[in-house]
Amino acid sequence: MLDRILDRLEEALIASFLAAATLVIFLSVLHRYSLGVSWLWPYTGRISFTWAQELAIYLFIWMAKFGAAYGVRTGIHVGVDVLVRRLPPRRQRFFIQFSLAAGAFFTFVVAALGLRFVLFIHDSGQVSPDLELPMWIVYLAVPLGSGLMCYRFLQVLVRYRRTGVQPSHHYGAAP
Amino acid sequence: MSAFVIFAILFALLFTGMPISIALGLTVLAFLALVSSLSLETIAIVSQKLFTGLDNFVIMSIPLFVLSGAFLSAGGAARRIIRFATTLVGWMHGGLAMAAVLSCAFFAAISGSSPATVVAIGSIMLPAMVEQGYTKKFSVGVLATSGGLGILIPPSIVLVVYGVSTSESIGKLFIAGIVPGIVMALALLAVTYGVARRYDFPTLPRASLGEVWRAFREAAWGLVLGVVVIGGIYGGLFTPTEAAAVSAVYAFFVAVFVYRELPLRKVPQVLLEAANMSAMLLYIITNSILFSFLLTTENIPQQLAQWIIDQGLSPWMFLLFVNVLLFFAGDFMEPSSIILILAPLFLPVAVQLGIDPVHLGIIMTINMELGMITPPVGLNLYVASGLAKMGLTEVTRAAAPWILVVTVVLLLVTYVPAISLWLPNLLYSRP
Repeated sequence: MLDRILDRLEEALIASFLAAATLVIFLSVLHRYSLGVSWLWPYTGRISFTWAQELAIYLFIWMAKFGAAYGVRTGIHVGVDVLVRRLPPRRQRFFIQFSLAAGAFFTFVVAALGLRFVLFIHDSGQVSPDLELPMWIVYLAVPLGSGLMCYRFLQVLVRYRRTGVQPSHHYGAAP
Repeated sequence: MSAFVIFAILFALLFTGMPISIALGLTVLAFLALVSSLSLETIAIVSQKLFTGLDNFVIMSIPLFVLSGAFLSAGGAARRIIRFATTLVGWMHGGLAMAAVLSCAFFAAISGSSPATVVAIGSIMLPAMVEQGYTKKFSVGVLATSGGLGILIPPSIVLVVYGVSTSESIGKLFIAGIVPGIVMALALLAVTYGVARRYDFPTLPRASLGEVWRAFREAAWGLVLGVVVIGGIYGGLFTPTEAAAVSAVYAFFVAVFVYRELPLRKVPQVLLEAANMSAMLLYIITNSILFSFLLTTENIPQQLAQWIIDQGLSPWMFLLFVNVLLFFAGDFMEPSSIILILAPLFLPVAVQLGIDPVHLGIIMTINMELGMITPPVGLNLYVASGLAKMGLTEVTRAAAPWILVVTVVLLLVTYVPAISLWLPNLLYSRP
């Protein structure tokens, strides 16, 4: 149940961040060109889009960090599996579990490093140049995203041990 | 020495089958922990790189190009492009096969990914070709190979990745991809025509000018996107990232309101699929930025460049070495990872030997196309085998003759730099 809420939350988050970032960049382009139109001045002249690029980058980074976790669940992170595929099933099982564990280990280390970094930035009181957002909130994407990714690797590992299936992504499975 | 250790760790990890991105990241961690003294400073830098690595507006064109491709694929652009291409070349020998190649070239001009091109065109063209009596083997070979045009004809995600990792101008790279893309498309068309004549493949009735025009008007909604992106970047109307955002919004508009094949309720699914794909690419990019940071602090690209220069390699020998190395790398890994790992290593050598970085980028991209149709890890082959419900070995055999065609074009583009450099030099050399 909790897992299902987490799944939907993750999906909603990355889809809307991607959409929002795209719109922000699009609107800033539109705004820049509308400034050349004199009769629009009363409407557009007052709005400033200097923050747009920064906001878009932050949205994309958040999308990327959480999307990477979603990707573990959908099996989109591919590796070089030509050798492993030729092994006898027992050894193959070992390597698949090893890879998943390695993924969990790496993302855990990154989450820990990221958390340390967030705490460090928090103490420095740094804010972003245009939006003046506290930087530690922005950087929170690293520990949160990587932490979630670690959880996903463990989840896939547990499921693989239980059922012997791991998710695999197919091109063209899109609607 | 450290170069040897780093690559030994990387290869050992890669061949366990773990995700390439994880292998890259773990290599950095392992090297820092085992070999170099793990100072607090390096840890701080590493954790900062995890974020700031992506803090780059150019990189953000990747998710946007993925998104715009996703909207076009879901929105029925492929079907209209195919209809237009069929009215153009359908009457020739092997008409439908010729149309398949041409459709891939057109679709490549609005999409930046090869597998996406294979799926978009192949899912419609493959059943149609088989129904017309083409062998499955021939159809799959044509489609898997022509789909490779997706990363050569701009916009191209692989060229963006190359631009990011070498700080080369994306606009210049895109423009440089145009002529080689056309050369490759013509080569594929010519070979298809030759085979079709020899085996007397069926032709389609000639379309009237009116039909061509109507098909063109329908397809133009999608095709105009390529013109907007390339024209807009070159004309200085917008940056590559802005161009990608404009094309994503435009593609959404065309798919939902003009072609009306994508109902609004399915939009979140398209967004999610695009986010999934691009987050995967961005994750590889983050970790390879970490990896190349390690290489640079250990001074490896410079050492390697020096070593190769000391061997007295001439430019053509170096390029041949690049071709061969990439051919084998391309057999095991997908394009973006290879470019991210190898481009920073090749670039210093190329620059010393007087090879234009833009030319190197195009060479690497065509080499990647070759990798995508060469087993065991040919991404296009995987996709095509999924579409055709054929085993991978069969599909591999189907693509084999085409590997030769792509190799010939690769060698041509490698040793005749003018094919890649003529157009960008012409356009970007303002007095």
